[in-house]
Amino acid sequence: MKARLGVSALVILFLAGLWLVAAPFAVGYQERGAAYADATINDLWLGGGLAGLSFVALVIYAADALRDLARRGKHADA
Amino acid sequence: MIRKFVGAVVAALAALAGLWLMIAPFALGTQPENADWTNATHSEFFSGLGVAVVGLAGVIAFVLAIHEELVARGLVVPKPRRPEPEPEPVPAAAPQSSSAELASLLAPLVEALREDLNTTPRSGEHRQNGRTSLVGAEENR
Repeated sequence: MKARLGVSALVILFLAGLWLVAAPFAVGYQERGAAYADATINDLWLGGGLAGLSFVALVIYAADALRDLARRGKHADA
Repeated sequence: MIRKFVGAVVAALAALAGLWLMIAPFALGTQPENADWTNATHSEFFSGLGVAVVGLAGVIAFVLAIHEELVARGLVVPKPRRPEPEPEPVPAAAPQSSSAELASLLAPLVEALREDLNTTPRSGEHRQNGRTSLVGAEENR
């Protein structure tokens, strides 16, 4: 139950990372065609990093859970 | 187990990133001093606040999950809760040493009752002790 809450937090963090990448263009503080502002660069790096890290963590979580399942299946067969 | 640890670490990093996002407009100088907050500041500050809160919640959830698993494996023994202190027994009232003390305690009460009986005027409808029968008094009502 608590781990599920943590996974939910990771999913929300992943979505927040995507939002941060899109925010400069969605909110409108980055003009089209202009050089990236400092705020835009900050948001892109942080959002990209956050989304990437959260995604990797979710993949690791899923892979480890699947490995557990496979191990239990082997023990059940034996 | 390792997946929960990874989750906790990533959530902690996200919480730190959220804190940075909250102060970034001021640290980078994109928010002019003594001016209303710009759109960028609003967006970054509240996004950072959300990320920090969610990251903190994720850290707490994963740490609790790790602790639960360690307890289930017997690697960690949960601290026994302190038993609530029992209320101290109220010392019982000292028993009367003799019936003489009891009599001396009750004497004023008996005296007051006797005086009350002697002084209270008796109206007609009340039965006077020993003078009329109970049945007769009830029939006269």
